[in-house]
Amino acid sequence: MRVESEIVITPEAVVLNGEHVAVQETGDKMLVELYRHYVGAYPKFFKMDTLCRLGFIAAEMVLKSTDRFTDGIQNTECAIILANRSASIQNDTDYLTTISDGNYYPSPALFVYTLPNIVTGEIAIRHHLQGETAFYVLDKPEELEPILLSTLNDKNTPVLAGWCECSGPNMFYAKIQLIWNNLSNN
Amino acid sequence: MEQFIEQLKAQIIEALNFEDMTPTDIDTDAPLFGEGLGLDSIDALELIMLLDREYGIKLADPKAGKAIFASVRTMAEYIQANRTK
Amino acid sequence: MVYCIGHSIISPLGEGSQANATAVQAGRSGLRVHTSRFADVEPFCASLFETPQDFTALCIRSVEMALKEAKIKPEEPGVVFILSTTKGDNLDLITPAQAIARHFGNPNPPIVVSNACTSGVCAQITAKRLLESGIYETAVVVGCDIQTRFIVSGFQSFKALSPEPCKPFSPDRNGLNLGEAAATIVYTRTQTASLTEHRTQIRWILEAGSIHNDANHLSAPSRTGEGAYRCLMDVLDGTDPKDIHLIGVHGTATLYNDDMEKAALERAGMANTPVSALKPFFGHTMGAAGILETILCMMQLQQGTCIKMLSGFGGVNAAIKLKVERRKGES
Repeated sequence: MRVESEIVITPEAVVLNGEHVAVQETGDKMLVELYRHYVGAYPKFFKMDTLCRLGFIAAEMVLKSTDRFTDGIQNTECAIILANRSASIQNDTDYLTTISDGNYYPSPALFVYTLPNIVTGEIAIRHHLQGETAFYVLDKPEELEPILLSTLNDKNTPVLAGWCECSGPNMFYAKIQLIWNNLSNN
Repeated sequence: MEQFIEQLKAQIIEALNFEDMTPTDIDTDAPLFGEGLGLDSIDALELIMLLDREYGIKLADPKAGKAIFASVRTMAEYIQANRTK
Repeated sequence: MVYCIGHSIISPLGEGSQANATAVQAGRSGLRVHTSRFADVEPFCASLFETPQDFTALCIRSVEMALKEAKIKPEEPGVVFILSTTKGDNLDLITPAQAIARHFGNPNPPIVVSNACTSGVCAQITAKRLLESGIYETAVVVGCDIQTRFIVSGFQSFKALSPEPCKPFSPDRNGLNLGEAAATIVYTRTQTASLTEHRTQIRWILEAGSIHNDANHLSAPSRTGEGAYRCLMDVLDGTDPKDIHLIGVHGTATLYNDDMEKAALERAGMANTPVSALKPFFGHTMGAAGILETILCMMQLQQGTCIKMLSGFGGVNAAIKLKVERRKGES
C-alpha cells in the first residue's frame, strides 16, 4: 500500500502533498474559490451540499496532482472509499427545513443528498470511475485503516480513500489520499 | 407577462442553484431540458415542487411536466392559467 | 472461507427468519396503505410495524436472536459489529452502532456501512474481507431502517412510491413501497471454534462479493446496467451462469431499476435464471434489505448457489454469491 498523493482541507487551509495551497476565502466560500480555480465549467457543483463539494474538490485536486492518474482501463476501476462520523447531517438538516410544520414542500434536489455515499457517486461521475464506491460511518478516522487494508487484500485497483467530514457549512475536515496497491505499482 | 417571466426565471435560478446565472442568461423560448439549460430528472421534480410552493399547482403525474417545462414561456403560460395562489 | 452460522429477521411479517420465510410462502404481505402515520405526508403503501419501533432496541433484538443460533461470545475481541443503515436512529448512525456493540459487551469500534440501498450487501462484503484478512474472526452484520416522515416525504417528492403493493418486473409496475425491518447474519471464518461448534447439515459460504459504480447519474440507474453487470461478472468469476440456481434481484418495481437489472442479467447470460423479488412482501427495507433478502434467498434454496444483487442512489451496485456446503453425518 503506497500513498501516491494526499490532500488535507480544513475551513482555513488546504495542504496538497505537504504544501500549502494559497486561498483567500475560508469555509464554504473557500470551496467555491477552489472550484473556480481548479475545476470550473461544472455547474452541477453548485447543486451539491457541502459534504459533496468538499469530497469533490479534494478528489479533483488529488487526482490532478499526480501524473500516475492518466486515462486508462485500470484507472476506470479506481475505487472510492470514504468515511466520516456525521454521515450527511448538514444536508439532512437543510432538507428538514423543507418539510417543517406549516411549510411542507419537500425538496427532491436536497433529498438526493441525504445519503453520505452520494459524495462517492459525484466523484465517480466526474472522473468516470466505475470501480467500487463505498461509504463508512465511524467514530474516528483511524478506524478506516483495517477496512482499507482488507479491501486492498481483495482488490487490485487504485483507491481514492479517506475521511470526509462535514457537520456545517464552515465545519468540515477532509483528508483524502490516492493509494496505489503494491501489486499494481509497475 | 414579460415581467412575470423575469420573476419566474429568478425563481428557477434559485430553486435549481444556478449560482453563476442571471435571468438574462436564460432564453425565454429555449428548451429547458436537453439542449437548452441541460436540466435533468431531479431538476424536473424540483420545478414541480416550485409550482406547488409558489403557485399552489399540484402536478400528480411527473410526465405531464414535459409539455409544461418545454420552455420558460410555456411554463409561465401554464402557471398563469392554473395558479391557485 | 467465510461461513454463515446464524441469522434472524424481525419484520411486520414476523419474528425470526423461519416465521418470515413461512409468511412469504403463505403469500402474506406486510404492505398496507397508511393514511395518518406522519403529518402532511400523503397516504402511502408500506410495510410498517404496528407500533413504532426504537431503532437500537430493534437491532439488539435481531442480533440476540441470531447470536442464539450462532452460539458465539460477542464480548470476545475477535468479534466485530457491522451496522448497515441509511438513516439510523433519527439521522444518527454512529451512536446506535456504538450502543448495540456496547449492549453485547463488544470491545471493538463498530463499523457503519451507509451505501444507500446496497448497504446490506456491502456490509456483508466488508465482513468477508475483514475475516479473510485475519483482522477479525467473526462478524455480526445487522441491517435496519425505520420509516420516518423524513424518508417518506423524500420518496414522495421523487414521485417514486406506488400507491398500491409494488409489482417488480411487471410491465405495469409503477413504483416502490417502503418497509421496516431488522435482519442479522453472523459470519465466521475457517478454523474458528465457533465454526467447529456449528454442526448443521447444510452450511452457507459467502464466496464472492463485488461493488461497482455506474458513474452515470445520482438517482437514475445506468440504462445498460453497467455497474450491476460488472458486479455479476465479478462474482461469477468464470462460474457457468447455468450453475446459479437463484438470483435475488433488487426488484424495487420502479420503471428504471427493473429495466436496468433485466439488462444486466441478460448481458451476464442469466436471462433464464430464476429470480426472487421480495419487495411485494416487505417493501424496500433500505439498510435491512440486503441482509433480509440474502437470508430469504438462502432459505429458499436447500442446495446450490445463489446471487443477491442490489443497486441504489449514488449510482452504486453490489452483488454477492453464496453456496451451500452439505455435510454428511451431521444433524
